[in-house]
Amino acid sequence: MRQNRFAVKSFACRAVLLFVFVMVLGSGIHLTTSTASAGKLLKIGMLEEPKSLNIWRASDRWSSKVLGLIYQSLYIRDPKTLELVPWLAESDPVFDAATLSYTVKLRPAKWSDGTEFTSEDVAFTGDFIKEFKVPRFYSKWKFVKKIETPDKHTVRFYLKKPEAIFITRSLATPIAQKKEWMKVTEEARTKEKPLSWLMNHRVKAPVGTGPFFLKEWRRGAYLFLQKNEHFFGSGKEINGYLLGPYINGMILKVYGTSDAAILAIQKGSIDMFWWGVQPGYIDSLKQNSKIDLFTNEKSALYYMGFNVRKAPFNDPNLRRAFATLVDEDFIIKRILQGFGVRMYSIIPPGNTFWYCPDVPRYGDGLGREGRIKKAVQILRDAGYTWQISPVEPSGKIVNGQGIMLPDGKLMEKFTILTPPADYDPHRAMCGMMMQEWLRMVGIPAYSKPMAFGALLQQIKVRRDFDTFILGYGNLSLDPDYLRNFFISTNNKRRGWNMSGYDNPAFDKIANESADAMNREERKKLIWEMQKIIIRDVPYIPLYNPKLIEAVRKGTFTGWVQMLGGVGNMWSFCQLKPK
Amino acid sequence: MTNAEQKMRVKAPARFPWFESFLEGWSIFKQNLLGKIGLSLLVMFALMAICSYIPPLINPMYNPMTGVDPDILGCTGPSWKHWLGTDFMGRDILSQLLAGARVAFMVGVSAAVMSVALGTAVGMTAGYMGKFADTVLMRLADMIMVMPTLLVVLLLAAVFGQLNIWTIVLIIALFRWPGVSRIIRGQTLTLKQRPFVEAAKVAGASHMRIIFRHIMPNVLPLAFLFMTFRVTSAIITEAALAFLGFGDPGTVSWGMMLQWVWKTGNMFQAPYWLLPPGICISLITLSFYMLGRAMDEVLDPRLRKEDQTD
Amino acid sequence: MELRRYITGRLMQITLIFFVILTVLFLLFRLAPGDPVTRMVDPDMTQEDSDRLIAELGLDQPLGVQYVIYVKNFFMGRFGYSFHYGEPVVDIIWSRLPNTVLLFTTSIILSALVGIFLGKIASWHKGKKLDSFMTLGALVTHTLFLPWLALLLIWVFAYKLGWFPITGMISEEVWLDPESGFVAKALDVMYHMVLPLSTLFLIHFGAYLLIMRSSMLETLKEDYILTARAKGLEEKTIRNHHAAPNAALPVVTSIGLSLAFSINGGALTETVFTWPGIGRELVSAVSQNDYPLAQASFLLIAIVVLLSNLVVDVLYAYLDPRIRY
Repeated sequence: MRQNRFAVKSFACRAVLLFVFVMVLGSGIHLTTSTASAGKLLKIGMLEEPKSLNIWRASDRWSSKVLGLIYQSLYIRDPKTLELVPWLAESDPVFDAATLSYTVKLRPAKWSDGTEFTSEDVAFTGDFIKEFKVPRFYSKWKFVKKIETPDKHTVRFYLKKPEAIFITRSLATPIAQKKEWMKVTEEARTKEKPLSWLMNHRVKAPVGTGPFFLKEWRRGAYLFLQKNEHFFGSGKEINGYLLGPYINGMILKVYGTSDAAILAIQKGSIDMFWWGVQPGYIDSLKQNSKIDLFTNEKSALYYMGFNVRKAPFNDPNLRRAFATLVDEDFIIKRILQGFGVRMYSIIPPGNTFWYCPDVPRYGDGLGREGRIKKAVQILRDAGYTWQISPVEPSGKIVNGQGIMLPDGKLMEKFTILTPPADYDPHRAMCGMMMQEWLRMVGIPAYSKPMAFGALLQQIKVRRDFDTFILGYGNLSLDPDYLRNFFISTNNKRRGWNMSGYDNPAFDKIANESADAMNREERKKLIWEMQKIIIRDVPYIPLYNPKLIEAVRKGTFTGWVQMLGGVGNMWSFCQLKPK
Repeated sequence: MTNAEQKMRVKAPARFPWFESFLEGWSIFKQNLLGKIGLSLLVMFALMAICSYIPPLINPMYNPMTGVDPDILGCTGPSWKHWLGTDFMGRDILSQLLAGARVAFMVGVSAAVMSVALGTAVGMTAGYMGKFADTVLMRLADMIMVMPTLLVVLLLAAVFGQLNIWTIVLIIALFRWPGVSRIIRGQTLTLKQRPFVEAAKVAGASHMRIIFRHIMPNVLPLAFLFMTFRVTSAIITEAALAFLGFGDPGTVSWGMMLQWVWKTGNMFQAPYWLLPPGICISLITLSFYMLGRAMDEVLDPRLRKEDQTD
Repeated sequence: MELRRYITGRLMQITLIFFVILTVLFLLFRLAPGDPVTRMVDPDMTQEDSDRLIAELGLDQPLGVQYVIYVKNFFMGRFGYSFHYGEPVVDIIWSRLPNTVLLFTTSIILSALVGIFLGKIASWHKGKKLDSFMTLGALVTHTLFLPWLALLLIWVFAYKLGWFPITGMISEEVWLDPESGFVAKALDVMYHMVLPLSTLFLIHFGAYLLIMRSSMLETLKEDYILTARAKGLEEKTIRNHHAAPNAALPVVTSIGLSLAFSINGGALTETVFTWPGIGRELVSAVSQNDYPLAQASFLLIAIVVLLSNLVVDVLYAYLDPRIRY
């Protein structure tokens, strides 16, 4: 029996070693063809890997970043003016008022598999989105009546009615190859749930017109993109830039944490970290002579929202008082440590064309005492009183207590919901600070961090909340979201109007802005909308954080700074190895 | 006093059997080095927990959750104002550490009490009822005991979205009772045969009465002693949950502190923030473990040191 | 055969338990307050789009219908598509599984072997300094908080000293280079595995050490050891060939019993080291409300736990003649 045990133990040992060996072998077999071509490769650090290479499905940032290198659209944004310029298109779209149609001439281009890019592909993409009602894209194509292809390089879009977002959103849709998707589409039509089928379709090698194509993806570790020899911009001058790409490819390395990526860039293992650097690292990176830090603005909005449906938050005066009490200086200087932009309107100031500078600025320029006095004045005029007024008759400021509503009742405790501190320290801090600033004036605020998913549920589905602090990290440059956030028709479960704002005057102007095809006219309407919203403050805009990115000096030159960061198409097409 | 005399003293019929065995236990315990270390560590943590109320009273900026130092708004090292430095939001780390001790005790003790209550109830029922109820309950216990608690609580945490600290405690307790129930069941089985139970049955006492009046008092101290020191898994589970980001965002626990230092990228720059919470969790686990081992020796004569044979 | 009947019985039990878990999981996720669509915060997605997505994902059907479909799919091996990846769950799990198995089994075997070895030595020197040192060491390392230990190791060895990589399982330079052979790749994986392995090892070996130590002490009191001594055998032979193999038995069973503990540790380690395994996948699936993936991962782990317990019990029965079912 003892010999038995021995035998068992040594057998077990051997079995295990064999097992380990097989496992390592197995992981090795996963690797298909690894062909890193000679020449300098750009190494970029990512925080997470893309969830999917299926352009219709991929909505997360990482998938979008990768697919953005592969799939291209008819028009893209100029880095300096942010205007839409022809990309896959050759020239600006020509509008025909009689037929309510836009004609677009296409540039000669090829797909990464060598086949020609034609108007058929564009028509296919548009029709595809319409037929299957692809989420995220459908709202921009559903008003397109018909798409014609008079010849291989011309596309004509007929609209059912004038839609301002056609040029800015629909024409910025990535174009998919008809050949790649035709078969899948036909199969999908036979299924019970065609859209699900399409969204679950596994795309292993996406075919695109971009400067790179996917050569290899090793799950959990890295993606390897190689230069697309058929890229239509190679060697051409588009929009005043002479395009490459001048690099043979790029490796997108996946790090699970910012720490690992920052360490990697400090060591030189990567040339650029494709994510914002948190303030905690900035000092050490600044001191590193081998690292360059690029600061860009984002098209983002972080704000405090009210449940306008619920008293006392249905009183605009109360909301204005809150807006007045916000210490913007503190937020920008202390919470964001200087890396932020003051937000006065819903639209970020970086979006220069659409941004309206002429909106009410509540606490702006006033010190703490000034703000308290002004807020108290607003409230007093609206009929609010205090057990202990924050502003004594002599003008001295004290800690206020027990604010009472115009009807005489004591204001009840209410919560400011925020994401958890580790999810977003800035928002959590803003919540805490708002609580303090409000309490100084006797307003019973309580900041409550809540798990993000549950938070959204509470606000969007249950619609049971007082106030919250949320943000949009990636707003489109087209201001249509201004309409979506506040129009009364969106005031519903899971609707984008989370505050419940209901103003018929606003609705009217908003709908007009959606139809306005003339840019100048639309601008006037959008400005008007901003004025209304900031006057009523269903949302108090708080801040817009700056984006700081770390890039390794001395390896590649040619980074182009743009709203949203240096990881943009213009950079990638112009980067040259040193 | 010789061993023999000691034994004889204890064997004399006592009015309060618990108290006598407690004294006996204590004398054995005192000789156990591990137990002493464990107990002193535990006392230290208890003091920490009690002291956690002090800093915010000194100055609101020491509040672990919402304390904001007007001069500091970032991660700084130890200083006179902040003995362990400040975290990424400028909150005092020492007060967070003290609050964490409070949370740890609360979580540990509540989970222990709940699981002991539940486990005792189930164990007594199973042992007393026997047959079908016994099999079913013990199979259930097996099933639950075998599951990786953390993953299950993780699932539940995600399913219910936001978990507050009490829900977490409850869920942890729901997974800890099997261990207790086994021991209690064993005790109940032996007690069931005892004459005083037989006598009660003959006298016509109902099952309920027998269970609560006769069995429970004899079983409970054991359960309590035994399981109270198995409290550690509750503390660790809560810490691991908080670390992964599924804890109660409104509670400052040691696991939460580790999550903050990790997720906000200060891991490499702030050892004064990284080290204390981890040391505390490890030490409190260690102290409970040591205490548990010492208790084992007290309660199970076979485990006593060889030179202490009776 | 007794054993066969026992195994069959246990297998049936396991199936039953598994079914219960399956059903509980189903109910749990369906009644969940956090659904995936709300998480996809995109101002572009209108109400109609999100409604459509919910319908497509089948989340609007009555519970009963969903359950039937669910069970049917399960037995047909269709575990659904991950909400987040859009790929079949099976594929994702399949690609992650070897990574976890590699790390996990290696750590268990290593800690068991070292624990047994050191426990043996500790029992030889019972009462002396070496023994106290080892016992205390085992106790201390066993009670360290795993994620914290992981962070500490990363900080010291990967950051400060730079000896090992901070995260991940492979280095792309090695794997992308067509020149590097299998050995290079295997070594690369092992290089990345050192820190996670050390973390798991340090936490677990202590327990095995202590069990082995007390087990050895008990075994050395047994009659047959006395006989061996009387026969005049060398002390060393007695310990290694006669006592140790028997003493190691409880360690084997404790591996099975502490499996749950090890799995928890595995998930935490994978998360901190970004090791692309099942544990990490489960954690991220759960935080993203990716039902199918979280469900399947958990079921997989449950099956592994149940089966391992069975294996350990059978092994124990086989190896110890005193126990017969």
